[in-house]
Amino acid sequence: MRTAWIIWKKYMKKMGAEEIIGMLIQPVLWVLIFSKGMASMMGAGMSGGEYLSFMLPGIMALTALGGAIGGGFTWLNERSTGLVREYWVAPVPRLGILLGNSVASVSKSMLQTLVIVAVGLTAGAAFSTSLVNVLGTIALVAAFGFGFGGIALSIASGTVNEGGYHSMIMLLNLPLLFLSNALYALSSLPGWMRVAAKINPTSYLVDGVRQLMMGRTGDFPLWLCFAVVAGFGMLFMIVAVVAFKKSQ
Amino acid sequence: MTETVAIKADNLKKYFDDVKAVDGISLQAARGSVVALLGPNGAGKTTTINLLTTQLKPDSGTAEIMGYDVVKMANQVRCRVGITFQETSVDPALTGMQVLAFSGELYGMKRRDIKRKAADLLDMVELSEAARRKTATYSGGMKRRLELARSLMNTPEVLVLDEPTLGLDPQTRAKVWEYITHLKNEQGLTLLLTTHYMDEAEHLSDTVHIIDHGKIVCEGKPEDLIRGLGDETVKVTGAGDAEVFSARLEKQEYVQSLSRSDGESIHIGVDAGQKRLPQIVALAIETGFSVHEVGIERPSLGDVFFSATGREIRD
Repeated sequence: MRTAWIIWKKYMKKMGAEEIIGMLIQPVLWVLIFSKGMASMMGAGMSGGEYLSFMLPGIMALTALGGAIGGGFTWLNERSTGLVREYWVAPVPRLGILLGNSVASVSKSMLQTLVIVAVGLTAGAAFSTSLVNVLGTIALVAAFGFGFGGIALSIASGTVNEGGYHSMIMLLNLPLLFLSNALYALSSLPGWMRVAAKINPTSYLVDGVRQLMMGRTGDFPLWLCFAVVAGFGMLFMIVAVVAFKKSQ
Repeated sequence: MTETVAIKADNLKKYFDDVKAVDGISLQAARGSVVALLGPNGAGKTTTINLLTTQLKPDSGTAEIMGYDVVKMANQVRCRVGITFQETSVDPALTGMQVLAFSGELYGMKRRDIKRKAADLLDMVELSEAARRKTATYSGGMKRRLELARSLMNTPEVLVLDEPTLGLDPQTRAKVWEYITHLKNEQGLTLLLTTHYMDEAEHLSDTVHIIDHGKIVCEGKPEDLIRGLGDETVKVTGAGDAEVFSARLEKQEYVQSLSRSDGESIHIGVDAGQKRLPQIVALAIETGFSVHEVGIERPSLGDVFFSATGREIRD
């Protein structure tokens, strides 16, 4: 844990003004531009505020994906510039290095999630602000961030090619987002997409957050949302550990 | 024995597919000594360093640092070793002070000790004024000096320097040599350095191991290795029957050593170059060896490499 803390501090310290500004403004733009635009096109039968609330969990998922991609890219960059060798020669557990990186990217996603909630509330979204529901949401987003962070770190551990990394990430990122219930209701999807969405952990994250924050009846039981997202997080962190050890 | 030996490697091997990067290297370094691995690029120096500093696991063979096995007791080894890598690698997003503080934290140092040690080391490498600047603004030489400071943060007993002056300007190079000499003389550190600069190995090391194709081809004190070649070296390049010419040379009583490349370059160690040069040229003419180029030099570690491998040390 001490190593994870040291690595986390380093990554947080490394954030430049550009990263902080981008990190805070990006979710604002998603909420104010993307969700408003989508609401006018797809939110038939819902008020603007309702569709915004419906969209926000998807934006949280997108933000968590972005954070995880950033964490993987940091690792790729440290590998290709040789900075990781400082870790390899130090008397620290390798798992702590991986954990520090993952926690740093999840921390950034958490901050962005809070910004999304604040901007969403200001823009007219209606959702629960009870502590339990907020903590539940944070737990779901964090577990999802660890899962996709694990995928990103596994890819980053297997290549030193930035182009290759981004291609692979986009290949996974797009179906994870679009073959889910993030932007549209599960019931409105064609049959094959509905099947794909049901095996996509993003759908469980989004559904769980909708249930917690909006009090909506979900497509899946809430416990299943937590189980699938936590399982996704754990599975890909294990995959990342294996890839991480191989990369040394 | 173990108490006086800081670094010990026994028949280390590391292969990457068909490439025998390290092919049975054995060496020892006494505490407080400076040992150089001299060889051309790709000879296996860095892989040897990576094995000794726990960055790689050997395929076979054993190695110990300060009595700790590099595989079985890797963390004990890591606590006792400081290293500067061949390619400079300091985080450009951190300041000089932050780079050292991060290193101190990795080695479990207390915050107060980190501050004091980092300030002392920055002072030693003359970077105190740049300590609060991001290293992205540092020159190559400044980054190298910062790396040297970083490798000393954990107060190592063994300091490993992989090509410490590669790509540096002469002024910075001289500075790094000065620091290394200081660390050896004042702090009694055991130093293991790799280099392909012969003058560096000769100037800094107590013992040099000449390495080529993953094997140590000869070892000893630099002055002994050089002296073994004779007082001066006459270098002859030409065309003709080099074998006959060499055979005749070997019979001359003034010839102290003789080495020949696969081509037609011959290095002849003699007692007095100026005096023997006409005799050597006369002998070449007599044996039908056509001399294209001839010169006299004081033997160097490069000649030792040539003598051991039949090739010039190459970049």
